[in-house]
Amino acid sequence: MKVAVLIKQVPDTTARISIAGGSVDEGSISKWTISPYDEYALEAALKLQSESGAKVVAITLGPQRSSKSLIDAAAVGADELIHVLYEGSSGSLSLQGALAAAVRKSEADIVLAGKQAADTNSGSTAPGVAQMLGLPCVGLVSEVKAVDGNFVATRSTSSGMERVSVNGPCVFAFDKGDEELRRPNVRGIMMAKKKPIESLSPADLGVSMEDGGVNVESVGYPPEKPAGQTFQGAASASEVVTKLREEANVI
Amino acid sequence: MGYEALDFYDVDSLLTDEERMIRDVVRDWVDESVIPKIENACREGVFLDEWRQELGGMGILGAPLKGYGCPGLSYTAYGVICRELERGDSGIRSFASVQGSLAMYPIWDFGSEEQKEKYLPGMASGELIGCFGLTEPDYGSNPGDMVTKAEEDDDHYILNGAKMWITNGTIADLAVVWAKLDGVIRGFIVEKGDEGFSAPEMKGKHSLKASVTSELVFQDCKIPKDRILPGVKGLRGPFSCLNNARYGISWGAVGAAQSCFDSARSYAMSRIQFDHPIAAYQLVQNKLAWMLREITKAQLLAYHLGVKKDSGEWVPEHISLAKMNNVDIALEIARVARDIHGANGILDEYPVMRHMANLESVKTYEGTHDIHNLILGRHITGIQAFTREA
Repeated sequence: MKVAVLIKQVPDTTARISIAGGSVDEGSISKWTISPYDEYALEAALKLQSESGAKVVAITLGPQRSSKSLIDAAAVGADELIHVLYEGSSGSLSLQGALAAAVRKSEADIVLAGKQAADTNSGSTAPGVAQMLGLPCVGLVSEVKAVDGNFVATRSTSSGMERVSVNGPCVFAFDKGDEELRRPNVRGIMMAKKKPIESLSPADLGVSMEDGGVNVESVGYPPEKPAGQTFQGAASASEVVTKLREEANVI
Repeated sequence: MGYEALDFYDVDSLLTDEERMIRDVVRDWVDESVIPKIENACREGVFLDEWRQELGGMGILGAPLKGYGCPGLSYTAYGVICRELERGDSGIRSFASVQGSLAMYPIWDFGSEEQKEKYLPGMASGELIGCFGLTEPDYGSNPGDMVTKAEEDDDHYILNGAKMWITNGTIADLAVVWAKLDGVIRGFIVEKGDEGFSAPEMKGKHSLKASVTSELVFQDCKIPKDRILPGVKGLRGPFSCLNNARYGISWGAVGAAQSCFDSARSYAMSRIQFDHPIAAYQLVQNKLAWMLREITKAQLLAYHLGVKKDSGEWVPEHISLAKMNNVDIALEIARVARDIHGANGILDEYPVMRHMANLESVKTYEGTHDIHNLILGRHITGIQAFTREA
């Protein structure tokens, strides 16, 4: 069994983001990391590796710097690494097309990915890749197990936990689970540097990045919060209570 | 606000990719497992057992040693690990220094094949804790006059004497103990539970409170003959261990200083007095600029010493300079950081007073500040000034 994990390198949540010319200024970002939901997907894949003997292939798409996320994945145990090297920006359809082609090339049986990336939050990659591969997609899962030739995913729903069984290839989109993410150890880090990264261009995969379908027009800072209101003296108490109840809806 | 490590000259860009990855792993671990727990551990005066397990799990104990389950990293990587650990607390770094440089190293360098195979894999994984017994109640800077002695007795050695200020002593599974056999200093491995051996904890410390400090007491302590370290005689044994530990401290002190700087900078930016953040005042800026200056110099010293350690082109005096300088400036930076924090600086909400108290110990252990000056003095003049006797 082979499990593909789609990994996106995103700015670390502690990194300061600045915007230049309607897009995020990537040069100003000091620290990049694996998108947190993808880390849960990777953890689930590594569990399939240890419990069911699956091979884990980590796939990322992005510029040269994003190979670091593959090395990080190798340091915790990913067996194979595929980097779809693409320095440009493109719309989500062509990105999904390139990822789907990489998955096909990896010959993986199932695909695990985060439910959304921490930077764009669009949530379209997992279902988009599933669509292009002609596979079903199960979203918001926290666990996937291999049981008697099927894959059983656990999903948290508003009324409790749901178990979904899939009897064939599938894309699973991961939410934050209860699993503690494994920490790379030094041995893993030293082994990771020896692991080859298969670097492929979109052209190598026979994919055009021209027609992205959905494109980000521009990004901007969130609107500044309006100034707070100040109240003084006991006489204002009833007004404060009214506002807390009717405007803030907190009491 | 997360921790931002000051690296004004981007010294870490000189590290290898693996060294940076190891740095990030240890830094994240400190953020997640040390910072939220350290103040409570200090109040209770305990070294958390989960730290031992997790340090072992990361595979960083005995970092520069090769083989026998040891990580086999560069000395530079070992330094980076020490720096990141000490950013959390000097006590955590002390645990790792003692385990790796003072207990594992002598077994690795001077031990028999059987000793290496018996102890090193478990020590690297954190299952076995080691300690190092050199200092005695009456012999600190002058270990050569130690009174702890070993005598042959049939197929055993009998140890008598006492060691003091022994990090990890009470929690250790084994101790590397230096004692005189027929007047010559030799290393012996004493195991927890050996007849006549006890390791009572020293209480009442105002410093390194999250680290275990102990006495080691040997009363007709009987150990098998195969526990002597065959590969070394004389002070060269313990001193070669100390060289490695002191090297790690020169990096570790940078971490403590970076932590103090980070706290002082962010406090100065947010503390408003006379309608402005105190960071807007020249006196405070002067202090921050001085801290940045000294930390940058200390980083460069530590890094270059790491390069020399890795190439083998070093002398002990190089280590003395870096240990002495970096601990000295870290302690002063901790004091100035406390000053910038005003009254808040004495609270355990901020790390500065804890680092300050820790660094008082670090300044004294592993060769006091003054002894390192004397080592340099001897190097410069060719005249030793340790004793009045030639």
